[in-house]
Amino acid sequence: MMRYAILLMGAPYSSQAAHSALRFARAVAERGHRLEGVFFYHDGVHNAARLAAPPQDEPHLVDGWTALAADHGVPLQICIAAALRRGLLDEREAARHGKQGYSVAPPFELTGLGQLVDLGLRCDRLVTFGP
Amino acid sequence: MLLHILNRSPATSEVYRQALAAMGPDDRLLLIEDGVQGALGALVDRFAALEGRLYAQEEDLVARGLEPLCDPSVALIDVEGFLTLTEEAQKTVSWF
Repeated sequence: MMRYAILLMGAPYSSQAAHSALRFARAVAERGHRLEGVFFYHDGVHNAARLAAPPQDEPHLVDGWTALAADHGVPLQICIAAALRRGLLDEREAARHGKQGYSVAPPFELTGLGQLVDLGLRCDRLVTFGP
Repeated sequence: MLLHILNRSPATSEVYRQALAAMGPDDRLLLIEDGVQGALGALVDRFAALEGRLYAQEEDLVARGLEPLCDPSVALIDVEGFLTLTEEAQKTVSWF
């Protein structure tokens, strides 16, 4: 058993990065490794958009990440600085900035870049999926 | 031994040169996403120096209908094989 972390920097449907990362994440968890977290950075934060409504005959990436978290208890961490400037706010941040509605909900959580550093230090492997 | 992961086609990006320049004598290179084009007979000579250390993600070749054109010198691996490569390497480096 090893500790893994994934860094995802590609937006859903713009590049294959999110599909590759999700496929790899499932393989990690299903082999019995501990996937300590998926960190969403740069355009990768768009994977957390709770209002995403892709056509029903296409893979639903937001649901895919949510299912991964439910099945294997994987933390889904979003870089807050990358998210806020792209309009991805949870309920608390929306209230703080006086915005109607919110676009990020659990199991996704807004966190700082320090969490990525922590994952890199704590885990045996950190695998990056770029756009 | 490090695992290098390349997702760009050598036909459209020069980043593969940086990956090759950074690789140690035992390091391995895995082609994923559009990078699998590098496994085709017409492009695989870019990676001739790797001799047995070149891998390609089979699912990505199949999704593009390119599996029949893959050069026999390239080891095809599925996502399970990808995971095994990361287990065997000390760390991974992604090029994009």
